[in-house]
Amino acid sequence: MEEVDNILIHALKQVGTEVSEETGSIKQFTSELIVEAVVRCIRVIDPGLGSALPTFLPPGMSARFRVGMSLAQACQDIGYKGEIGYQTFLYSNEPEIRSLLMFLVEKLPRESAEASDQPTGKSVVLQKAIAAAIRAQLAVPWLPPNCRLPLHGETQSPGAQHNFHVQPLSLPHCTKGPGKKQLKGGQGSLIYMLEDYQRDVLPPVTAQPSHQASVVASILEQHTAELSAAQEWDNEWNTQGLLSRLTPQEYRSRKLARLRKRIEEQLRSAALPCPESAFGGPRSASDLSELLQAFRGSAPSDHILTKGTHFTHTQKFTFTQVRTAPRAQHKHAAPPILSGHQSESDMQLRQQEEQASLQQQFQQLSALPCLLSCVHGGCVWVQVLDELKQRELGNSEKEEKMQVKKKTIDLLPDADDNLPKLQAVVEASAKRVVHLASQWEKHRAPLIDEHRRLKEICSNQDLESSRKLSEIKSLHDKIRVSTEEAKKKEEIYKQLVTELENLPQDVSRSAYTQRILEIVSNIKKQKEEITKILSDTKELQKEINSLTGKLDRTFAVTDELVFKDAKKDESVRKSYKYLAALHENCNQLIQTIEDTGTILREIRDLEEQIETENSSKTVANLERILDDYKAIRQENSALAAKVREG
Amino acid sequence: MAATETQLMLSVGLIEKDVNGDTLWVWCYPSVGSDLRQVLLSKCCLTQDSRDFHTFVFGQFCRIWYYITTVEVQEPTALNKVTHFSIVVTAKDFNPEKYAALSRILCRMYTKHGSPVKMMEAYVTVLTKGICQSDENGSFLIKDYDVRKAYLAGSVKDVVSQFGMETIILYTALMLKKRIVVHHPRIEALLEFTRVLPTLTWHRKDWSILHPYVHLTDTELEDLKKCPGYVAGFLDPEVSNRSDLFDVYVNLPDSVITVSQSAKEAMAMGKLHKDIGHLIVQSAEDAERSDSQVIKDISVKTKEILANLVALAEECEDSKITLEGLKQHHFPPATENFLFHLAAAEQLLRI
Repeated sequence: MEEVDNILIHALKQVGTEVSEETGSIKQFTSELIVEAVVRCIRVIDPGLGSALPTFLPPGMSARFRVGMSLAQACQDIGYKGEIGYQTFLYSNEPEIRSLLMFLVEKLPRESAEASDQPTGKSVVLQKAIAAAIRAQLAVPWLPPNCRLPLHGETQSPGAQHNFHVQPLSLPHCTKGPGKKQLKGGQGSLIYMLEDYQRDVLPPVTAQPSHQASVVASILEQHTAELSAAQEWDNEWNTQGLLSRLTPQEYRSRKLARLRKRIEEQLRSAALPCPESAFGGPRSASDLSELLQAFRGSAPSDHILTKGTHFTHTQKFTFTQVRTAPRAQHKHAAPPILSGHQSESDMQLRQQEEQASLQQQFQQLSALPCLLSCVHGGCVWVQVLDELKQRELGNSEKEEKMQVKKKTIDLLPDADDNLPKLQAVVEASAKRVVHLASQWEKHRAPLIDEHRRLKEICSNQDLESSRKLSEIKSLHDKIRVSTEEAKKKEEIYKQLVTELENLPQDVSRSAYTQRILEIVSNIKKQKEEITKILSDTKELQKEINSLTGKLDRTFAVTDELVFKDAKKDESVRKSYKYLAALHENCNQLIQTIEDTGTILREIRDLEEQIETENSSKTVANLERILDDYKAIRQENSALAAKVREG
Repeated sequence: MAATETQLMLSVGLIEKDVNGDTLWVWCYPSVGSDLRQVLLSKCCLTQDSRDFHTFVFGQFCRIWYYITTVEVQEPTALNKVTHFSIVVTAKDFNPEKYAALSRILCRMYTKHGSPVKMMEAYVTVLTKGICQSDENGSFLIKDYDVRKAYLAGSVKDVVSQFGMETIILYTALMLKKRIVVHHPRIEALLEFTRVLPTLTWHRKDWSILHPYVHLTDTELEDLKKCPGYVAGFLDPEVSNRSDLFDVYVNLPDSVITVSQSAKEAMAMGKLHKDIGHLIVQSAEDAERSDSQVIKDISVKTKEILANLVALAEECEDSKITLEGLKQHHFPPATENFLFHLAAAEQLLRI
């Protein structure tokens, strides 16, 4: 009981009750103290209920009575299941008070709930330390510069501040170049040179930025950039990359191609309206079109013509075309189709010449600048281009026709023979081609079938692989969740360890836990003993029962036996009387023993009751009740007199 | 000229889509270059993600016409694991009806026999003899499909009824060999509309300017840019942002024709155009005149204008027109502009 009382008193002290050092146990609590303790507990447990209750007992009896009743009601509201009323507080007894206080102390909200509300983590501890340090510094009053002591110099002058200036750093192992194995020849040596440079020449990271102040900023920036890039890549890979079933390199290269295409389209659509207006009329002012023109290289200003120079421009064209004009005329005059053998070869030569000259012309023309704005010059240009194209096409067609005709002409002299021969050749080659096709079909058909069969297998496997992919994804998620949980738990653990070290050592919880454990083991042992005693008792009872049964049976048998003979013999009758008397007396003995046992039990029970009644100081309480009753009667009569007077 | 014509048909190819959802180029004869093969695969509706099924599409790439017929495989068939296939025929000439008929025959053969060999036999017969037996009674003869019929297969009246007076913009653009881009989300409508446009300049009978089915890929656009003037059809509405590709933009579903900034000067229209426009509209609205008669009317008017131009050219030395020569006739400025550009297109300009 002592430990229980100590714990209760400690808890009550924490709640705010003023318990003096002398009171060591609940027995010594006065009514006032009890009321104060209970009210404070209630205030902590349920501020709404507790604010209405006073912490001290008022002097007047009826007021005390009222306070007692409200306290009892409050305790019942909180959930106390035992019997409680005003008497518990005004006329208290030890066991009731103990159980009530234990109930209230248990109901007190745990301190650990506060700790779990705060975010866990090592960083939190660090931040709290930083906050504490800054608070301490802020608490120091500001002094004008002349009065400052050297120890204030760091915190109160602005010299410690720097701008956040970042410079790029170059770290060895962070370049994403191809690995050594993939390089051959010259590039391999490049890697070795790079390594030498990094080993011998490259200054360490802390020396690379130009200002010492930028070191921290640059390192932070570099690290954050790398970290965020890696995280983004992880995210993207886990969501889209795995689903696309490509290797990481392929995925990256496809992404690059896709982005480049999109940029191209954007540039094209942005630049499109500009070139037309740029060449036709006043140049548009957009920067993009100027930029694109700069890319084109050729100086556009040469080609923008104004109306004034129209004739000079046509002159320029006519001048360059003069050479080709006589040739063109010549071509117009050439007759298209001849039937004679000689003219065929002439035509062949002429056509070859024409072709050569046309090619020359075409090359010359394509060397000229292609951008014209003058409409009329453009027309001529279009016409020339058109003519050229038609001539070329006509040329190629004529060549083909000429080839066929040449062959026909060769065969013509011997027409009668050659015609059936030709037909036979045609038929033979047709048959041969068909035969070859059928042979090819014999090879092709099985290959196509094989292809289709494999494709089917492949698509079946696709299902399998997509299922596995989803499994992998869920595993990834689980891994991620588990790592996060593990991290969190580790942080919580570290934080709790640090907190535990920092906690004040006044409450030796370990001593209490030891006691509790001892008590628990004691109780266990007692329980075992009780069970043993119970089983022994059962055994005994069984024996008694069996013996009683045996006794009865034996007596019944002897009784019968003897009675049978008792009718005949006198001595047997006597012995029968003795037997009956013996049985009777023994029964009485047994009965007496049983009664003795019962009475002893009753004595024990009564003694226990006497003890409990004694500890509840009933007599003293009754006297107090009588006194209070008398006091209330006096108050009532005084109040009644006042009412009658006033 | 038919007898001495060089070979028109170039190749035949086969694209299959199988139960795995793969679309493969499985066979071709003789051989098809890898660029052209890529383009053909992209044009075939089996490679496109949308479930649209186009039985017959055609187009031009590098001066080669391709005709793609797609068929869904139905029972009974000798093919296994194939759900759809397309037959691609490439040729030098423009004749959709001819190649559609040929492709149908080849498709039926392939479905029935399950092997391209039979199909190739038919193709080689057509190549060498110009005729082949078809499953239905009768046969396929090349000479049944005259190129003139292909040119006249479209309906000019529909074009005029859709655009009314604005048809004159298309006429002007075609006469001046400008770049026309047509957009429609459905390929069949695009093909139908674009193949009619070259009939407005019947005197040239030049269908090589027609590129009815183009995607916005680099290879195709490179090829397109080689032609100075063209009529190009696009399914992708993005093409309206590519003003580097067109002088006239036709939004077919909304029936809107836009002339781009750079071509506005050249396409300025005046009284002459108004007259021509009226003529076109009147002729097309006449219910008794057929399509070919409308085309004839337009070409008569065109010939008139060209005759005038040639007459003007005769007056100048070496029968070439120059701007000064034109200016002497004091035409109204729009007409003068038009005649000058037309002379450039018809190669009558002095260079």
